[in-house]
Amino acid sequence: MKKILIWGFIIILLGLCAKSCIRRDIPETYPKNIINSELENIAYPDTNKNVTINGVDYLQSQAPVGVFGGELVISTIGEGPKTFNPCNSKDNTSSSMAGMMYDGLVTTDPRTGDVIPQLAKSFSIDGNEYMINLRRGIKWSDGKPITADDVIYTYEEIVFAGLGNTATRDMMMIGGKLPVLEKIDDYTVKFTTSKPFAPFLRMLSYQIVPKHYFKPYSDKGESVFNAFLSPNTNPQEIVTNGAFRLKEYVAAQRVVFVRNPDYYKINTQEEKLPYLDKLVYLIVGDTNNEILKFEAKEIDVLGIRGSNVARYKIKEPTSDYTMYNLGADTGTMFLVINLNKDKVKPIKHKWFSNRDFRAAIDWAIDRKAMVQNVAQGVAEPLFTAESLNSIYLNKYIKGHPSDKNVALNSLEKAGFKIKDGILYDSDGNRVEFDLYTNAGALEREAIGVMVKQDLEDLGMKVNFKPIEFNSLVNKLTNTRDWDMAIMGLTGSPLEPHDGKNVWQSSGPLHLFNQRPQGWNGNDRLEWEKELDEIFEEGALKLTFEERKPLYDRYQTIIYDQKPIIYLYSPIRITAIRNKFKNIFPTPLSGLLYNLDEIYIGGKE
Amino acid sequence: MEALKKIFKDKFAFTAFIILTILYIIILFADFIAPYSSSYSDREMSYAPPSKVYTINEKGKLSLPYTYNYIREYEPTLMQTIYKQDRSKKYFIKPFINGHLFGVENGGKLYLLGTDINGRDVFSRLLFGGRISMTVGFLSLFVVFPIGLLYGGISGYFGGIVDTLMMRFAEAVMAIPSFYLLIILAAILPSGMTSVQRFALIVVILALIGWAGFARVVRGMVLSIKKEDFVLAEKVMGASNLRIILKHILPQTMSYVIIAMTLSVPSYILAESGLSFLGLGIQQPDASWGNMLKEAQEFTNILYRPWLLTPGLLIFIAVLSFNLLGDAVRDYLDPKSNSQS
Repeated sequence: MKKILIWGFIIILLGLCAKSCIRRDIPETYPKNIINSELENIAYPDTNKNVTINGVDYLQSQAPVGVFGGELVISTIGEGPKTFNPCNSKDNTSSSMAGMMYDGLVTTDPRTGDVIPQLAKSFSIDGNEYMINLRRGIKWSDGKPITADDVIYTYEEIVFAGLGNTATRDMMMIGGKLPVLEKIDDYTVKFTTSKPFAPFLRMLSYQIVPKHYFKPYSDKGESVFNAFLSPNTNPQEIVTNGAFRLKEYVAAQRVVFVRNPDYYKINTQEEKLPYLDKLVYLIVGDTNNEILKFEAKEIDVLGIRGSNVARYKIKEPTSDYTMYNLGADTGTMFLVINLNKDKVKPIKHKWFSNRDFRAAIDWAIDRKAMVQNVAQGVAEPLFTAESLNSIYLNKYIKGHPSDKNVALNSLEKAGFKIKDGILYDSDGNRVEFDLYTNAGALEREAIGVMVKQDLEDLGMKVNFKPIEFNSLVNKLTNTRDWDMAIMGLTGSPLEPHDGKNVWQSSGPLHLFNQRPQGWNGNDRLEWEKELDEIFEEGALKLTFEERKPLYDRYQTIIYDQKPIIYLYSPIRITAIRNKFKNIFPTPLSGLLYNLDEIYIGGKE
Repeated sequence: MEALKKIFKDKFAFTAFIILTILYIIILFADFIAPYSSSYSDREMSYAPPSKVYTINEKGKLSLPYTYNYIREYEPTLMQTIYKQDRSKKYFIKPFINGHLFGVENGGKLYLLGTDINGRDVFSRLLFGGRISMTVGFLSLFVVFPIGLLYGGISGYFGGIVDTLMMRFAEAVMAIPSFYLLIILAAILPSGMTSVQRFALIVVILALIGWAGFARVVRGMVLSIKKEDFVLAEKVMGASNLRIILKHILPQTMSYVIIAMTLSVPSYILAESGLSFLGLGIQQPDASWGNMLKEAQEFTNILYRPWLLTPGLLIFIAVLSFNLLGDAVRDYLDPKSNSQS
């Protein structure tokens, strides 16, 4: 009996094998492309206005009036917030949670990128003097008024005193001097910087915190302040001024915010915003988990990357979400070449410091294939140091297709010779170097494999070495003993000065020619000198029109000299459920910048 | 011979043995059998589905097996990449072509199991990856077993304070969470290594964790063997301690060693896969089953590109076969500990 069963099983198996071998050639049919109607032009509302009702200076949203109630569920990848203290947040999740609860004096116009008042009613600039007028009659969540004292406290006793995250203080340090604050009256504050400094105004978006609630802790020094507002804090006691208040935090599961009933933003019918009752952040482990949660309708918003886009695009017409193309991301992917003189072997340094050699690499790299294969078409080739959505993007840099012949000519010009498919330099050394990236990132490893192939087509020998992320960072910033690396950085689309840590020759992230500490600065390359000057000068010029040519020039220098070869920028696609209204996505601010205006408006 | 016959009376063990033999033969001749080299890549064919092989032509008549090439198209509104068959030319699959066992004539593309993100043939890479994944286990064993045998032998033979100290140390090693240690060790390895060096180091790392448990069992066996009369006889005759351990005691543990060896191969295969899956083992562009499987980690890849899961299937088959074979060997050598009783 058993034997019969086994034989039966084997016969069925063989039969299935035979069946799969014999296949009839029937032409395949492909589904007709469903052409989605292009996104209709979104009718953006006007910029918020200031309205005074009964002595209170409200901020009035000009978006269509909505319905109150309901909740929006968002996801956050990782471990959840480490602190709710806006002055001490050092990771993205913590910052965005704190940003929900605390507003700054100014904010960014989501469409134009201009600086517009938020907690401040208005501001005026006179050279290096910034006069800030505060709103009268607006309150902290415990009923105390928000006054100039809170602003002065926040800047003088927290930011300038170096408590918590010191990034803002470091950026506000102009020529070694911090700005001076002066209280004109209870609702007016004057900032004076040591010299005119263009990026300063935007830095005033730093969250203002309540003096009466924070001072007892900030007085006790750094360790007490750093532990203040830890995730274990009782949510009820946190005093805030933002659109949402913390309701509950369940570690590694979710963060729940509820609306601030006394927020200072109103709609055109003079009702207090926000519309949503609740805002929930689900803490998810990774992107796969996030996608599954979106499919299960547990979350309402999903950022979609690369290969997933097609899947959701196809399902979009029959599903309950809409996808928005927010354009190129601020993140850039690039190949960086080490121009360091001390730590790179002299033979290699001679190649790397040759502009024609770098140009050959640039021309050999097939960005189009990267976009198609690695990013599945959901990306754009990148040639500039500024990201594609930057308002300072140099539009005259058009880039070029990859062309092996141009690359070979360029190498020939630089004195390299090819013999039997192997590239030698003018001294007869074989061109061989290491290419690093961080291990475990599928995207970067795939790019590395492609770069290796492209360069080996030129006769170079490339040892591709994915290594652990922290070792890579250590190599790039400390030991400096590397040849080339594939990395990514995120920049600001609004403020090119944020990139000075990369471009200034003494910057801590001056990847392609990292200087040791205490470096005297006398071996700068010509174009490094020019970059230094541009970044010095750009910060002192105050208008966009004055600054643009300078930052255009810096992008041209990078494009010509190619110490960093930019590869591509992913395109951001975000899906949100249709029931949410007042969605006005912009390339600069994304989709969820106006959480206080979003409401739930039926199913249609 | 008698032993083999007895072991292979178990049909599962026999099947497992055949499967493993075939697998090893295939990976040994991977250069010849695989239609492409492990570094071959076709940029235009990233994530191409498996080539369809037809044996009945469009007129319904039996034909030699042939296939069509794919053409990639990008559909911008859906942001979707589509592969369509280029039906203008048939490519017949021929044996012994271009120095390989089988393939199609120039211009044709034969991807039996589709391609990966870089447009490399998954079938070919499976064979080359198998070379690493299927041998890493054995190489580790050659490090683990001498250490474990000697350590366990000395500890058991001398007993007393030596035994206590050595065993506490072994227990301390066992108490280290092995996978985390692996991850840390793999992360701090010098970065300037070639993949061969890296491979060797992974073998050593795997072995450094594996020996302790094995040494403990050997020590237990030695404890009872050393009380046997023949050991006493050796002592009386004046043989050195080392000679007694190596020549007379350890051979007695042979049956256990063979069982432990066959049964621990799969855990090394899995450990290598796990490390490579996390990006700390065998690195791109070299292939191993673990780092190939990493690509299938993504949600859409599982849904739309199931051929990327084939390394997982092979790991499963190899591990299962080793376990079945190991079981049969144990049943034969050590009938007392029969799991079926």
